[in-house]
Amino acid sequence: MFRTLKPFEYFEPKTIKEAVDILSTHDSGTKILAGGVDLVPRLRKRQIHPEYMVNIQQAKEMNGTIEDTAEGLRIGALASLRSIELSPLVHKNYFVLHEAIASIASTQVKTQGTAVGNLCVATPASDVAPALLVLNANFRVVGPSGEKIVPVENFYLGVGKTVLQDNEIIVEILLPKLQPKTGGAFLKLVRTAADIAKVNAAVILTMIDDTCSDVRIAVGSVAPTVLRVKKAEEILKGQKVEPKLIEAAAKTAAEEVKPISDLRSTAEYRRETTLVLVRRTLSAALERAKA
Amino acid sequence: MKKEVVNLTINDTPYELLVEPQVTLNELLREQLDLTGTKISCAAGECGACTVLIDGKPMLSCCTLAATVKGKNITTIEGLAKNGELHPLQKAFVEHGAIQCGFCSPGMILTAKALLDENPNPTREEVKSYLAGNLCRCTGYVKIIDAVLAAASQMNKGGK
Ligand SMILES: Cc1cc2nc3c(=O)[nH]c(=O)nc-3n(C[C@H](O)[C@H](O)[C@H](O)COP(=O)(O)OP(=O)(O)OC[C@H]3O[C@@H](n4cnc5c(N)ncnc54)[C@H](O)[C@@H]3O)c2cc1C
Repeated sequence: MFRTLKPFEYFEPKTIKEAVDILSTHDSGTKILAGGVDLVPRLRKRQIHPEYMVNIQQAKEMNGTIEDTAEGLRIGALASLRSIELSPLVHKNYFVLHEAIASIASTQVKTQGTAVGNLCVATPASDVAPALLVLNANFRVVGPSGEKIVPVENFYLGVGKTVLQDNEIIVEILLPKLQPKTGGAFLKLVRTAADIAKVNAAVILTMIDDTCSDVRIAVGSVAPTVLRVKKAEEILKGQKVEPKLIEAAAKTAAEEVKPISDLRSTAEYRRETTLVLVRRTLSAALERAKA
Repeated sequence: MKKEVVNLTINDTPYELLVEPQVTLNELLREQLDLTGTKISCAAGECGACTVLIDGKPMLSCCTLAATVKGKNITTIEGLAKNGELHPLQKAFVEHGAIQCGFCSPGMILTAKALLDENPNPTREEVKSYLAGNLCRCTGYVKIIDAVLAAASQMNKGGK
């Protein structure tokens, strides 16, 4: 096992523009550094070999502020997982995100690691990604040709792959406002509390009287990327939500996933438990939407 | 590679250091400054043995580049005892037999300190969940949790 890291050139840009310029000049072999929780062990294990490391924490436009705006909640890209978990705004209005982060065990990982770093790693086992998917979150991204909005839904291309170019920086996460009578829930299945998910699921459900007016369901660790199970969603939309319908939606969700077998679970087990987690998150979200 | 000038405070002592960018905070403490109380075990963020407090918050020194802690205030296990007197958490760990091989203890105690600074009166469940990122392979946690709760009540009584 290696203890030390290989040398690289280190940059601490003072503005985002400067950061993008550095990333664009050295257009290969660059890495953006945030909390380092994922990146530094990967460097140590020689899984990646960047020549240029760009620490974005000192850029003056970067911050970890969590604030309400007219369009919804704004979370600065430097926000640690723990600051989001503890944010009263997140707890009150986006409980599913609170629940997802609360399921991550290590205080240190959550104190040092950012939500954006977690998402950029693009592991299908992320607990943050399903919550952001059902919340219809967007990223504000800055690159050489300016600024753009990227929906989290279009962000993932595969295991470890996102639509971001090496010289594009996520500046903030934007969570749109939710409708009244909306409930959310997150659940995950793990071997031990500190392990990553065998399967996880997040739900957002909006009710008008007894009818489901809108629903989004996302599952993780059961496909190369976190996944919206849209056929399952269609079963519920516009319908009276009863246990039988929840069961039918959960069954459909289990048919939509594409799990693999690995050291954490077999594909078969993952498919079975997708059904259980989707059923349970839907039921919990329904209770919360009615409350 | 160009070295970075890092000004920082470690256990109330200011330092100005020259470090290579690929040097982690863990290596800086252990190898450059001989502060070997901070351990390294899994070197991947899983075990918490390398935990130090950065501006009072528990962080993983094995996952932190030294160049990124300019201007920060670092507390390591060496900084807890004052004037030769152990910190109440250290005393409680000794009294409750919460230390066996001792390898996890510095990280465990610093994480516990961060907890008690945030929440001076935690429940048993709160202690367990806050310490979830610190692994111990000897004592089995019960004594560790007992020690943290005992230290909390000692400190709330104004004990030092
Ligand atoms: C012991 C342990 C347990 C864990 N358990 C869980 C768990 O249960 N559930 C879970 O979901 N996760 C878990 N994680 C993952 C953890 O949440 C992430 O590793 C961490 O949040 C990464 O964030 P960071 O800020 O440290 O990112 P870094 O390591 O700094 O960066 C990670 C990646 O993101 C890119 N990046 C970072 N910020 C930006 C930006 N603003 N713009 C563009 N690219 C950027 C970097 O270039 C890099 O590729 C665990 C990790 C560890 C070590």
